[in-house]
Amino acid sequence: MDPVLADRLQFAFTIMFHYLFPIGTMGLAPFVAAYTWKAAHGRDEESARIAAFWTKIFGINFAAGVVSGIPMEFQFGTNWAAFSRNTGSVVGQPLAMESLFAFFLESVFLGALLYRRRGVPSMFVAWAGVMICAGAWLSGFFIVATNAWMQHPVGYRIAADGTILLQNIWAVLFSRFAYWQFAHVLCGALLAGGFIVAGVGAYYLLSRRDEAIGRRLVRAGTIVAFAFALIVVFPTGDRNGRDVTQYQPVKLAAQEGLFTTEREAPLAIIGMPDVAHKRLIDPIFVPDILSFLSYGNYKANVNGLDAYARELWPPVELTYYAYHIMVGLGTIFAAAATLAVALLAFGMLWKARWMLWILMLLMPFPFVANEAGWVAAEVGRQPWIVYGLMKTAAGGSPTVSSGETVFTLIGFAGMYFLLGVLFLYLVLREIGRGPSGSEA
Amino acid sequence: MSVAGFIAIAFMLTMYVLLDGYDLGVAAVAPLIARSDRERAATMAGIGPFWNGNEVWLIAAGAALFALFPAAYASSFSGFYLPLIIVLWLLMLRGIALELREHFPSEIWHQFWDAAFSASSALLIFVFGIALGNLLRGVPLDAAGYFQGTFSFLLNPYALLVGVFAFATLGVHGATFVAMRIEGELAARAIQIVAGGSWLVLILYLAVTALTVSMNAPLRAPWLFAMPALSLTALGLMWRSARAGRAREAFVMSSCFIATLLAASAGTIFPYLLPAFPARNRGISIFAAAPSETALACALTVTLIGVAAVAIYAPIVWRRMARKVRVE
Repeated sequence: MDPVLADRLQFAFTIMFHYLFPIGTMGLAPFVAAYTWKAAHGRDEESARIAAFWTKIFGINFAAGVVSGIPMEFQFGTNWAAFSRNTGSVVGQPLAMESLFAFFLESVFLGALLYRRRGVPSMFVAWAGVMICAGAWLSGFFIVATNAWMQHPVGYRIAADGTILLQNIWAVLFSRFAYWQFAHVLCGALLAGGFIVAGVGAYYLLSRRDEAIGRRLVRAGTIVAFAFALIVVFPTGDRNGRDVTQYQPVKLAAQEGLFTTEREAPLAIIGMPDVAHKRLIDPIFVPDILSFLSYGNYKANVNGLDAYARELWPPVELTYYAYHIMVGLGTIFAAAATLAVALLAFGMLWKARWMLWILMLLMPFPFVANEAGWVAAEVGRQPWIVYGLMKTAAGGSPTVSSGETVFTLIGFAGMYFLLGVLFLYLVLREIGRGPSGSEA
Repeated sequence: MSVAGFIAIAFMLTMYVLLDGYDLGVAAVAPLIARSDRERAATMAGIGPFWNGNEVWLIAAGAALFALFPAAYASSFSGFYLPLIIVLWLLMLRGIALELREHFPSEIWHQFWDAAFSASSALLIFVFGIALGNLLRGVPLDAAGYFQGTFSFLLNPYALLVGVFAFATLGVHGATFVAMRIEGELAARAIQIVAGGSWLVLILYLAVTALTVSMNAPLRAPWLFAMPALSLTALGLMWRSARAGRAREAFVMSSCFIATLLAASAGTIFPYLLPAFPARNRGISIFAAAPSETALACALTVTLIGVAAVAIYAPIVWRRMARKVRVE
């Protein structure tokens, strides 16, 4: 096997598995903080129960995130030595900030939240919840800033020997690409958080147990999911799309399955790309919309894949499908959340059991959409590891053979399988016990 | 500025060894001192709120190495590919064990995770010791700075001895933590381990130091000659506090002892991040591995601010959580 292919498979596998947990951490942290806060201030027993319930689930999720995240910081060095050597001067900075500013914050305060020792005041625990939320979001920002630099490098200079050196850290951290990408990623996680809370609440209502708490969860969850289902599309998704149009037009063409350059380009809602014949099979088009979405003008010219050399194309099928899964699910989320909030506003949600069914069954799909979005962004970045500057093929470790990477990939697969099974079991068991089963 | 970078990384690694060192040590000595399921649960509860934060020092040191000295980060991490991945697996296994033990009230379940926890932690200490030994001895590198040796080269007698020494030292360190944090009989047993283990640590310390000095015959810095005196003083004081039953003092002295060992190691390796074997000077030095002044300045600022912030909020949290754990 090509060693870089093995490196890519290992990175894709470990990062995609790991990312399942940060979605939950970033998305649930504000709920945990809010309920812990309410429990500390309020006089109501119920908030304390809800806080304890979500803290348990959050704790399991966080632990799985920490354990699956341990390899992340080290993989750049082990499997991507040439990339690290060449770009560490820039890429190392936000990663160091992540550990020092965010990871410490989360980890130190998490102990206070999870291991409630006798005599620790509940206000302190509430503050710990807020700090963990801040740490989780900050952590996400630095990681996305690192990725955004690989998508759209700024603030660097190239040394005489070809090494990429840091020129201006502020340009790296506050590049437009970085903060819009972060806003989009964070909205995706909060949308997931909203749907998880609503889905668990819907489960209790459908099973006719813990109904008072179930209603509170559905109410809070659907409102959050509704808000972020909209913001994730506009403005954040829209701005990401425009950045891709401007800086990575080949990725745009692959995501949309646009093989030929067109004026008044149509948007393909569905269709299967046939790369060999450069066409979409059985497509459904909406005329002119792609031109409008990309440039704000129905008549604009949109470059298709034919405008670029074949070796600069990303893998078209994967980029196309990942992108369409994300957008398709995003549309479904927006519709479902709008409907649920409307029913809630008219006081009809508790009787509309079909809607509760939908909310419950939607729970896994925000995870799929978040992962698919990353696949579209990362696979669509190929063949570059740093867009326009360094090819992925040149980024591997010269001393690590594909056999070694395959071995460690198998090892990671085993370790993550164990972790995944235990995680699912423990979380489902916690949901099964419910908020009233746990002692507040 | 490269020197400051070297000091920053050495400092973070020292913090890692002091802090995560006690978690690892507690796990390694737990089979010796905790006799019942409830006692083992208490030892785990003693470190439960802290281990995650402690482990971040290792991640942060790795990230700081990446930002400060990318060339050294790239060649050492990819050069020691398999040993490093094994360390990652052990760290993961240990995290899983620690977090999942309490989720089932079954004794079989507990026994399994206790064993996994102790075994992975003990192995980690041993591997870290071997790594330090090889760092002090130097490793074969090619012109580009990539490791050229085999697994068996790394398992040389000197490095293995350092591994055993690390095991004894951190085991005793962990025992001082148990004695300080947990009430009752368990603490009494732990302090006995400290008093007795001190002698083993002393013997191993003398052997390792003699070998290290003979290997690096012309020592660069004269202050290194003062280190053994400091180390021995700390070790002696630890033994005395343990005999007197003053656990907190023993923990502090154990920390001082470890800090002097790591300072001496850093001084021996300096100015190399990865000394070569047999000729040290072909290794990766901090002057060759540094990226650029801008990057160094940025990473150092980040490190300073980050560590200062942790130094402010971590003790506040730790003090809140520092209640003694009772065996229930």
